[in-house]
Amino acid sequence: MHAFIAALGFGIVTAAILAIASVGFTLQFGATNIFNLAFGSTMTASAFVAYVATEANLGLWGAVVFGALFGTVFSVLLNRAVYLPFVKRGARLFEMIIVAIAVTLLISNIIQAVWGASFFTLKLAPTPALNFGALAFTRDELGIIGVAVAAMLCVHALLHHTRLGQAMRATATNPALARNCGIPTTRVIDVVWAVSGLLCGLGGVALVLVTTSFNPQTGTEFIIPILAVAVLGGIGQPYGAMLGAVVIGLMTQLSALVISPEYKQAVAFVTLVVVLLLRPQGILSEVAEQKEVVA
Amino acid sequence: MSQAVQFYLSTLLAYIGVDFIACWALNLQFGVAGILSFCFIIFQAAGAYTAAVLTLGPETPTSFQQYFGGAHLPFPLPVLAAAVVGALLALVVGLITLRRLRRDYQAIVMLVVSLIATLVATNATGLVNGANGLSLVPKPLSKGLGLSPYGTTYQWIFALVVCGIALVCYAVVHRITSSPYGRVLRALRDNEQAAVAVGKNPLALRLGIYAVGGALGAVSGALLVEAISAWSPSSWLYPETFSYFAAVIIGGSGNDLGVAIGALLVPVGFLEAVRFMPTIGGPQFLGALEWIAVGLLLLVFLWFRPRGIVPERRRKYPAS
Amino acid sequence: MHVRVSGSKWRLVLAAAAAAALAATGAGAAGVAGAASKSSLVFAELNPFSGPDAAFGPEMVAGCDAAVGLIDHHGGILGHKATCKGVDTHGDPADAVPAAEQMIATVPNLAGVIGPSSDEALATVPILNRAKVPMMADTGQSAFTHTTSQYFWRISPADDVKGYAMALYAHAHHETRAALVFGNTVGAQSDTVTVLKGFKALGGKVVDNVKIALDQPSYNTEVESMLGKHPDVIFTETDPATAATFFSDLKQLNHTHLIPIVGSEVTLEANWVQAMVRAVGGKTLKSYQVGVQPYAPPSGAAYTTFNGALHAVKGFSKTTIAVYSTDPYAMGYYDSVNIYALAMIKAHSTNRSAFNRDITAVSNPGHGKVVVHSFAQGAKDLAAGKSIEYVGASGQVDFNRWHNSTGAFEVAGFVHAGKIRIVDVVSSAQIAQLSSKR
Repeated sequence: MHAFIAALGFGIVTAAILAIASVGFTLQFGATNIFNLAFGSTMTASAFVAYVATEANLGLWGAVVFGALFGTVFSVLLNRAVYLPFVKRGARLFEMIIVAIAVTLLISNIIQAVWGASFFTLKLAPTPALNFGALAFTRDELGIIGVAVAAMLCVHALLHHTRLGQAMRATATNPALARNCGIPTTRVIDVVWAVSGLLCGLGGVALVLVTTSFNPQTGTEFIIPILAVAVLGGIGQPYGAMLGAVVIGLMTQLSALVISPEYKQAVAFVTLVVVLLLRPQGILSEVAEQKEVVA
Repeated sequence: MSQAVQFYLSTLLAYIGVDFIACWALNLQFGVAGILSFCFIIFQAAGAYTAAVLTLGPETPTSFQQYFGGAHLPFPLPVLAAAVVGALLALVVGLITLRRLRRDYQAIVMLVVSLIATLVATNATGLVNGANGLSLVPKPLSKGLGLSPYGTTYQWIFALVVCGIALVCYAVVHRITSSPYGRVLRALRDNEQAAVAVGKNPLALRLGIYAVGGALGAVSGALLVEAISAWSPSSWLYPETFSYFAAVIIGGSGNDLGVAIGALLVPVGFLEAVRFMPTIGGPQFLGALEWIAVGLLLLVFLWFRPRGIVPERRRKYPAS
Repeated sequence: MHVRVSGSKWRLVLAAAAAAALAATGAGAAGVAGAASKSSLVFAELNPFSGPDAAFGPEMVAGCDAAVGLIDHHGGILGHKATCKGVDTHGDPADAVPAAEQMIATVPNLAGVIGPSSDEALATVPILNRAKVPMMADTGQSAFTHTTSQYFWRISPADDVKGYAMALYAHAHHETRAALVFGNTVGAQSDTVTVLKGFKALGGKVVDNVKIALDQPSYNTEVESMLGKHPDVIFTETDPATAATFFSDLKQLNHTHLIPIVGSEVTLEANWVQAMVRAVGGKTLKSYQVGVQPYAPPSGAAYTTFNGALHAVKGFSKTTIAVYSTDPYAMGYYDSVNIYALAMIKAHSTNRSAFNRDITAVSNPGHGKVVVHSFAQGAKDLAAGKSIEYVGASGQVDFNRWHNSTGAFEVAGFVHAGKIRIVDVVSSAQIAQLSSKR
């Protein structure tokens, strides 16, 4: 029982990071239908920006702010400078995926070229752990959970209580129709990328706060659990992603009780494959038909 | 030509043959059939492991490697066995993924399959010796030819054998792409609904070509492991698939000659060229630079010349 | 099949191929025959500089650059200057083989190699041996413990020997229930074999053997399960990220206490220490963790010279110097280059097959030999006709007939950033005794 509660506690931290990242991913994918596989490496890049900030003695807040800012700006630019031009040219869905892979290779290797391949740590003071009965969290971990909850609330508020959010939902559901209704879809898409990038940056900083040490490849493979969560919850469904994050976060932790711990990563992998094969629309979505990409 | 240079050039020649076969295999899967085979490298890996195990012989108590099975088969049996294993693996993967999934989901599932394969191969001790990989694979032809495997004559002969096998593979690939089967696959790739409307079974057709691609990919792996006598999971991490994709796209997907040029340019030419560069910014920088260049080349070609250097030729069929 | 490739394209491709062929032919290495007069001798660093083990390469650069800096400062080797060249193997055999072949074929005045590492050794050692290139390998694989390759040399202990040292230390501290926490990589897993064997042979019990997936955001389940088996010592080798996460999880789940940790040399490297300090705190790290590495005390004449040389390398940042100044592998590479240099001077030749035989002559202990601690000292004494034994920053080197050298091990603990102190020494005699136990 103790093990289970502890697993629950840790699962929540992993779920929090996954939630932040996958909500960002799924919002963007739902609205634009572009598989931004470079999301993971953007997280890494944001983490490195946070690293530079802490090396400049800007502390935790500096790290978070600059990391998130970088994620936001970079994602918008990525769409404008790379994805959008290809889409406008009429690139098909699968060409976009190869473009995304190329971008991933570029980002993670530019990071490596600049900083080298060793391990890095954010220059911050170690934080004490706080105990709640059987659970123990550090101040950073509580912060991440807090940020995750706040981010989810903000996303909810954005989507359902603002006109912008309404426009985002409309664009995601039927872009042509949205445009005909006078919604400035190009600008809305920019906002979608910005929100996605913000969450990406936050997720990247959160990830390296929890793993304490990171290298240029850290975020790149994280895209698979993110995809697993996004797909499980239903593409474009932020609430699905939140739910999926909790499920996969917990399952990954609990799996180590049952299967050999070196196969822990396989949980996310296998979940992704199984969901895509059996119910590609995920838990919450209704539809998974092939839509074309949206500019 | 000094001995050392001969060794290097003969190794390169063998690698060229291997990369040609691999690129033609990927071309069948991606260029002709339009499948985003993001797990391609596992076919090469499966072929390499099969050939290695079938040449090494069963584990002995004193051997420091632990793996499954083993036999001392003479060349070219391990290569043929590898082809069979590759085809079977492709059938399994294809049956799982090539059904009604939308293409980008297919690609993701295949990518994940590649990651799972790496995970299993690294951690399942006793399967293929885990992270250490297999090594000391005996050189295939030396006993038969009575030559020392460490001499340049052997190296050149082996390289020529690889090229010979590459020619055979080319003949196979060419037959397929210029046959009615190839025509149907291209139709399926370009306009699936029309092809289905005419009564073609997309799954069966694609599975077939996927299996052939898998078999050829495995052959490339088998020859590679015979050339270098060692193989480990680090040789087939998922980015390697993209190096081959780059070769196919840049060379000209769908066109066998184009793809061969791509193979000369990317996996061979490009990566070898980096070795000759002076170490600016340190060797770590160069290593990252290679992949930066692959990424850039992909983007540049996809933008300016998506059909590649030698595009697939437009075929005209006489009006009936 | 008629494919129309425009004539100019074909010509380009052919011209490029021809040019490459010509260039390769023309650049045939002087190699075995000996260096052309007054040209620079090249020591190649054949190791991963990219890929998952990309951190290995720069370690070599630190050691090699420090060594050649001093060598050039003190007159060079038989009138030649020395220089280092990195050859990236990408950490995998398929890329390492052409890299090694290309290096042999095109590097002029290739004097010797440091490397290869476990990632590519099995594929490249035969190639280097065939081409008569001496190599000071950093692979710990037991496959080379009884190697017959004449040009293979190993001055760092094999992985299996390291495991015995770790077991001996834990046993000496009356620890009887061990948990193993090793990453699922080549290097780490090969260490576990002898830790297990040694600890059991000493009467201890291995209660848990966790083969850990690297770089996960949490390991609490593994930690919980391990705690349930009540180990009193943890043997470990993982990368910094994994260690930081695992041990901070342990600290939280174990009421802020850790369990005594005995790690491999990886746990004394700056990156690992830095990550752990951040994760569990310096005080905790100091009280609970030690690492076992080849006996290379950061003190004494040899070390001072090495440290000075490291500081003198142009272009090394303060961080780089801090990272490598206590790194026994960097010291080992530094010593390797010095041994090559001194062997060449002893043999009065830069011909690889000639000086390869003199490697033991300048490094193994022997009757009537003068102990030297630096290249300068060694070169001077050789010129005066004396017999020398080079004892460098990584300690005494004594090659056995399989060209393996096993020295003592030091058990060291963290003091503060950039400083470790030796708490114990495990001798090679103790190790030999344990390894012969069934």
